[in-house]
Amino acid sequence: MLNQFFSWLQDSLGKGAGDTAQSWSQALLGSLNFWSLLEGTHLLTLMLFAGTIFVVDLRLLGVTFRKTPVSVVSDKVLPLTVVGFLILVTTGLALFFAKPVYYYHNLWFRAKMIFLVLAMINIAVFHIKVQRNQSAWDNSPSPPGSAKISALLSLISWFLVIAMGRYIPYNFVDCGKPLPHFINVLEDCKTTAAGALDKDTMIKVGGTNDTDAVQ
Amino acid sequence: MTKLNFELFFPHLRPWVTNLVNVWPAYIVKPQYANWEVFHILSLTLLGGTAILMNLRLIGRGITGAPPSEVYRSLRRWQDVGVIGIIFTGVLMGMANAEKLYDSQAFVVKMCALLGGIILTYGATRPVAREDGAVPGSAKLWLIVGGLIWLAGLAIFATGVLINVGMYHVITAAALVVLIAARGRLRWIFLAGLVLIFALQQVITHVVITDPFDLKHLDPTNKAFTWAYVVWIGGTALTQAYVAARNKATPGLIALIAWAGILVWVTGAAAGRWIAYE
Repeated sequence: MLNQFFSWLQDSLGKGAGDTAQSWSQALLGSLNFWSLLEGTHLLTLMLFAGTIFVVDLRLLGVTFRKTPVSVVSDKVLPLTVVGFLILVTTGLALFFAKPVYYYHNLWFRAKMIFLVLAMINIAVFHIKVQRNQSAWDNSPSPPGSAKISALLSLISWFLVIAMGRYIPYNFVDCGKPLPHFINVLEDCKTTAAGALDKDTMIKVGGTNDTDAVQ
Repeated sequence: MTKLNFELFFPHLRPWVTNLVNVWPAYIVKPQYANWEVFHILSLTLLGGTAILMNLRLIGRGITGAPPSEVYRSLRRWQDVGVIGIIFTGVLMGMANAEKLYDSQAFVVKMCALLGGIILTYGATRPVAREDGAVPGSAKLWLIVGGLIWLAGLAIFATGVLINVGMYHVITAAALVVLIAARGRLRWIFLAGLVLIFALQQVITHVVITDPFDLKHLDPTNKAFTWAYVVWIGGTALTQAYVAARNKATPGLIALIAWAGILVWVTGAAAGRWIAYE
């Protein structure tokens, strides 16, 4: 169902009459510079977003700004992080709109979204539980274990979000290629135009592990 | 138009450059290119974040609860990691992708920004932060040297065919710095001006000029609007610097160091991204 919705978003929404008419999504993807500017802005904003959140996490780990209260660092830095996040979300949504079907069936994009959700849950847990007694350790050079775990989870989550995001344009595991069965399932390849090509089945039929020989 | 790439400066180097991909460790890096890109970007985020916070502190924004010298001491080693990280991963990726970079004008911009960024960061921003806002004579010298190298990179960026659009990243970042630094009425006037220029640009390039392929008219129009953004942002920044200097909050020279110290790394990152689009 989602596949059909994204196909409509990509191929039909905003499409006028005539053979050469483009949908809004196609027009965005085919734009001379706009898509590139969006993609570049998405990447560059990581300096503002991830660069500042890393500093807050490092303070919570007790490895930087040890003489400065946690609240002083977070209160002054996090507004900048939020600005960065808003730019990332805006450009990210626009980039998704340009190729929704591709992203929807992309393993790295799906993994990125999962780690993004985990990062958000970690932020919520930090605010609701860990920060409850912040006044007790706000001035401490080395915050308690719960704050450190939260910071570590944050660093790992954002690292994985960035890494998965960087892998998205690479076509190692695009649908239509001979892929292990579980990747075809994870990407829901059978509902794509390229289809699911099960590498394991091909090996059984062809009797070789050499993908080129099978093809 | 002549392309200002490394081939122009070192035309005899092509055979050596072409062979770099076959040299250790480039042939190991090549199949792992995506992984190295991840670490290049991570280094960039670390460098970018520390540069933003250290320079914003110089103009009285960001972590104002700690003196600039404390911000400097807390961030310098992480910034070093960022700088070493982008150079280390950059050299390896560059070897694995050498011919593309040799032909690229954006890569020349990136190298100017890298050199200018290192000079501005280590020669100007950090010494000034370490001294809590006092500007040593050497910092003035490094500001001029690093600033000129960066401006040369910007000039190459702005005149490069197919890459000059990447200047919008630098312009956007400059607008953000001004927005963060501005206070009160000036911030809203600045924002209203930006919105007005943007709206006018959209009306003229989409309503007045209806053909999206009419580059004969679109190109000069967009260039004129780019200048309008630059003048508006630069003018507001100068006004800010004047007001801050008059109120004895931030001397103009420190504001200049702070802006250059942030935007030079944005230039490097933007040029790096536009290598792919060139």
